[in-house]
Amino acid sequence: MKTINKLGNISVMALAAVSTMSVISQANAAELVIGTFGGSFAKATEACHVSLFTKATGEKVLLTFGSSVQHAAKIRATKGNPEVDLAYMDISIAKQVKAEGLLEKIDFASLKEYGDVAKQAFDVDGTYVNFMTAATVIAYNPKVITTPPSSWSDLFDKKYAGRMALGDITGTSGLHFLLAANKMNGGDLNNMDPGFKALAELKANVEVFYTQADQIVSLFERGEVVIAPWYPDRIGSAADKGVPVAVAYPKEGAVGIQPTLVIPKGSKNKDLAMRFMEAVLSAEGQACFAEKKYAGPVNTKVTLSDKVSKIVPFGDNYQNLWYPDSDVVAKKRPEWTKRWQRQVNR
Amino acid sequence: MTNRLRIWLNASGIGLLSPLAIVLLLAFIAPVLIMFPTSLHPYTPGVGIGEGWTLENYVEIFSDSYYHEVILRSLGMAFSVMIFTIIIGCPLAYFLARMQSRARNWLVLLVIFPLLLNLVVRSFGWIALLSKHGLINDVLLSIGMIDEPLKLIFNLTGLIIGMTHIFLPFMVLLVMGSIQNIPVDLEEAAAVLGSNRTRVFFSIILPLSIPGLLSGSILVFILSISALVTPRLLGGPTYKVISTLIYDEFMQLLNWPAGSALAFVLTLIVLVVIWATGRFSKRWMAHLT
Repeated sequence: MKTINKLGNISVMALAAVSTMSVISQANAAELVIGTFGGSFAKATEACHVSLFTKATGEKVLLTFGSSVQHAAKIRATKGNPEVDLAYMDISIAKQVKAEGLLEKIDFASLKEYGDVAKQAFDVDGTYVNFMTAATVIAYNPKVITTPPSSWSDLFDKKYAGRMALGDITGTSGLHFLLAANKMNGGDLNNMDPGFKALAELKANVEVFYTQADQIVSLFERGEVVIAPWYPDRIGSAADKGVPVAVAYPKEGAVGIQPTLVIPKGSKNKDLAMRFMEAVLSAEGQACFAEKKYAGPVNTKVTLSDKVSKIVPFGDNYQNLWYPDSDVVAKKRPEWTKRWQRQVNR
Repeated sequence: MTNRLRIWLNASGIGLLSPLAIVLLLAFIAPVLIMFPTSLHPYTPGVGIGEGWTLENYVEIFSDSYYHEVILRSLGMAFSVMIFTIIIGCPLAYFLARMQSRARNWLVLLVIFPLLLNLVVRSFGWIALLSKHGLINDVLLSIGMIDEPLKLIFNLTGLIIGMTHIFLPFMVLLVMGSIQNIPVDLEEAAAVLGSNRTRVFFSIILPLSIPGLLSGSILVFILSISALVTPRLLGGPTYKVISTLIYDEFMQLLNWPAGSALAFVLTLIVLVVIWATGRFSKRWMAHLT
């Protein structure tokens, strides 16, 4: 029993030490609190956006990490008195939070970079700005698939049975593939039957429905999966690390993803947050983010290296992007999720 | 009145518990009470949480066969994990409890070792072992035991394997404590009177270690049914359990009311299990003495 107690004590102490450390790191209150995404995205945020901002203003930044929905949940829970001054989130979530009246109105025209950024990047009501373009594209293993896939229908090919993965509908890529399959089979946002029918049939070929991006990295690495809908920035980062994976843009058009920046209502550092937006939207910030994180720029003054312009939505691939109406998607998503759970994932 | 209260507080020792009671109240009961009203509000996607009151979130859980399936699957999974930890954990606990060697401390450390490892890392370890081209399938294929890779992961099998591994230490430690409290003399006396080892185990060790076994089982059951990370990583979305469903409602759909309602249903299930086990253990102890 003594041993157990001793070990118990050690683990309690370890726990206490860990929790104290996190308290200390939080107590070092910085000027501006930014909610960004974790992993390599966080590193790129730090290297591109934060460093530019700090250089320009001399102010410190504290980064907190989470998904779009986690940021939204925080903003909702701390209504009017937010912990974060600026958050990165997907446009569909930004629209949801906007509808709940939780976002600060921003005078975009007063931003230094306003003239250089594509006009459609700004919300007409002044609540969010789309700062990069990403997309759901086809990821494939170039060692196994020598002719790059060119259409969403390639994923339906029988030869990939048991060697392909799809995203779960709870992730963006799952939703987008469903929408793309639906469109390809003659459906639209108000008639999802063709899409669900196609996926219910495809289900038998699917090795795994992934919920975390990291799951699919290890599956590509092991060669268990050779084709899957995924994101160019993730594919680019994984390929840089030696994972056998490459980007293919389907001819029907990749499905566009628009990450945005928002300032929660009641932010105490609105001005600084706007300076941060300027850093993100500046040609320098955008170019850096494109090279480091394979993010398609919205600043029209940015030029890209050859390697990056093949991966990110750029040129023809950018023109071809399809953006499903995010208002409709936000409203219908719960319904589709339920249907997916019952018809595709059961 | 106040005087009597004071005497009662002093005599019962409840006053001594008050620091803990306050912490528990603030950290556990209060958030639960705050969540409860949320579960009674309607939710409209694209608009947000409504002001009105409704039982719809609960009605849906009880009337929709999809939720029944998920709840049954969660119960079945937690129950299987519990049974497996008993089958693997009890012999191990007995071995460790009766061991005389100095190596025991190290062996106990080995049992606890999985707990020191990060949950996500551990789960990825399982993916490397169990996946289609993982170690286990490769070995089985190469020695010709199987012709096709077994599907060991991203389904219920993978989930149960991973969870049994993670929660085994709890069972071992609790049962070990119980067995250590059984004097060795009892076993020896039984042996002297002619019982074989099987009989000793079933008539002495097992009945007397029931309290530890029960608390271990409750702990493992509750930890399994409320686990989130492992089901998400090893079960995959096809094998939804209650906890992953709650996570999806909160974190993917922003539908807090439906998520809270599900969370309360889960809490209710857990409370019923604890209550039933408590009754059973009381009966059992009464039956022994």
